[in-house]
Amino acid sequence: MNRPVAAEMARRPLDVLADPAASLAEIMRAVSAGEADASPAAAHIGISAGATVELLGLYLRRHALLAGVKLQVSQGNFDDPLGDLARFAEAGVDHLLLAPFLDTFEPAFEARAAMLSDADVDAREAELRGRWRLVLQGATSFRTVILCGLHRIAAPVAGGDRLDDILARLNQVLREEAAAYANVRFIDMAGLVAGLGRREAFDLRFYLRNAAPYSPALLDAWARQALAVSRAYGARFHKALVLDCDNTLWGGILGEDLAGGVKLSAQSYPGAVFHRAQTEFLALQRQGVLLCLCSKNDPGEVDAMLDHHPDMVLRQADIIAKEVNWSDKVANLRRIARVLNIGLDSLVFLDDSAFECEAVRSQLPEVAVFQVPASPPDYLAVIASIKDLFLAGGAVSDGRAKTEQYRQRAQALAEQQAFATHEDYLTSLGLTVTLTRDAVPRIARIAELSQKSNQFNLTTVRYSAPQIEGLMADPAVAVWSLDVADRFGAAGLTGVVVVRFAGDTVTVESLFMSCRVLGRGVEFAIWPVIFADADARGCRRLQASYLPTAKNAQAADYYDRLGLPLTAEAQGVRSYEIALTDFTPPPSPWIEVLHD
Amino acid sequence: MIDEAMLRQVIASVLGVPVEAVGPDASSDTLAGWDSLKHMNLVLALEQTFGVEIPDEDAADITSYALIKMVLQHLVAD
Repeated sequence: MNRPVAAEMARRPLDVLADPAASLAEIMRAVSAGEADASPAAAHIGISAGATVELLGLYLRRHALLAGVKLQVSQGNFDDPLGDLARFAEAGVDHLLLAPFLDTFEPAFEARAAMLSDADVDAREAELRGRWRLVLQGATSFRTVILCGLHRIAAPVAGGDRLDDILARLNQVLREEAAAYANVRFIDMAGLVAGLGRREAFDLRFYLRNAAPYSPALLDAWARQALAVSRAYGARFHKALVLDCDNTLWGGILGEDLAGGVKLSAQSYPGAVFHRAQTEFLALQRQGVLLCLCSKNDPGEVDAMLDHHPDMVLRQADIIAKEVNWSDKVANLRRIARVLNIGLDSLVFLDDSAFECEAVRSQLPEVAVFQVPASPPDYLAVIASIKDLFLAGGAVSDGRAKTEQYRQRAQALAEQQAFATHEDYLTSLGLTVTLTRDAVPRIARIAELSQKSNQFNLTTVRYSAPQIEGLMADPAVAVWSLDVADRFGAAGLTGVVVVRFAGDTVTVESLFMSCRVLGRGVEFAIWPVIFADADARGCRRLQASYLPTAKNAQAADYYDRLGLPLTAEAQGVRSYEIALTDFTPPPSPWIEVLHD
Repeated sequence: MIDEAMLRQVIASVLGVPVEAVGPDASSDTLAGWDSLKHMNLVLALEQTFGVEIPDEDAADITSYALIKMVLQHLVAD
């Protein structure tokens, strides 16, 4: 592991990135170096997740660079896909990765699963459908939307458990919603986790501390899938598979072993491997991939195989273009591209000869080249990679029975559960906000929230518990705490407002909220209660300000959105003042505000 | 003994600062950008580079060059 830095420096960035054993620090350096080099294609992806996946960005950039794409990554806010959509669109993001996460339903959801009634699960399902339908509806302008499925973190129970059943239902909902949009691709996260193994996929240390459950290995595999389903962020669209014949379609050399001697029978080894390979190629053809032959052989003999050999799966009608001759393969590939009127970068080339593969790689770098491995069983893994290239993110042709089925089902469900607007969706949540003044039993939680809130924190004053206690005892100060709940459960104490009274003026000293509850209008719904209280104390004017930090840019225009007039701005500090009688906060009729 | 040049290099790569900025007194208080997210990445990167597994009880606390060096030396010696 202790590889000397100097030796690493000698390697080219792309070689480091292609090395599966490269360490995190090496990848970070190689990504920066690789992006500094000129790169033709560029794309911008936005990540909106319900878990902390900051490091996913690095791996997305790694695999993008390997595919010749310089990828810019923007991170969204925690579990706020609708808010992220607007921010990403403004920032010029063209691809979207949406990663819902089980824990955002409610804490310890996995443990709670066994206790949920059927009605609870129905309600969850409807909520999930409504929320993500709104998100996908709002995301039609993005080139690719990668929607990631839900997965469990808890160890599976032999034979399955209720959590498995619930997850299967919820994932089915996400798949159905994804199928209704041409630009949406689905990633099966549960399958990704299973492929890697649960122990390899998660790092529970950071899951419990930072809501960051994923290991670098899982993030790497995830990024690889994102690249595949987005077809290298639009930079790649493979249309044709160009196949060699000898030791690719059959075992052996046709010119030497003759038609009777080549290995192709499904009942023999290694014939069965080639029979399977041909069947896979035919399946690709049926899904819209153009199959071509490019072989140094006698054309008459190859035609005879296609027409008459009893064990052949592929037949003449399945092959759209043939270059069977003795000229070089580079020229033949050029000809195939010209005949089909597609770009060289739409071709995938499969050949057993290292010499031919290298010739094509060096002279036609646009072509994706695969070599048939020497050991027949390894061949199936290579074919799986080729299939991935064509099929990841959906088949090439439109004859996708399964997708159509999903689409119809999604439409049937649309009438039952559609929310016309974001507001309808919010109304369906049955949101309540309970405002409590000077809640002494909650002092510890209030202090903790003041320490932890970074993004939605207007002045970023950090309070200790004794300080909060002192403020609550001070008659010139009110400490408002807010508890947010919806029909699925309580999010707990997730926001605090500290206001100070002096003469006829009430000043907002602090305002901070957990990102979990933003985007639902809670931050606007609280003011009528707080102002009524200030009014009762004889206050006539309101003052508030925003103090910038490295992390709270998200809240910079909050008071503007609330409708307060800006009175001064200096070095990023924004000050606001208004007469209470002139002020009406934006309405949020979907929230019921309770107070004591 | 651990390779301190390598250690500096890893910290610099993860935090996105020049290697020269990572002195013996570097810590999350002195280096901008050493926040809880970057710290998580740093722990993962250190584990991979030095081939060790940093125990949960240390992972969150080693927020200075000196502490990281101490914990790594201890782990490498084991």
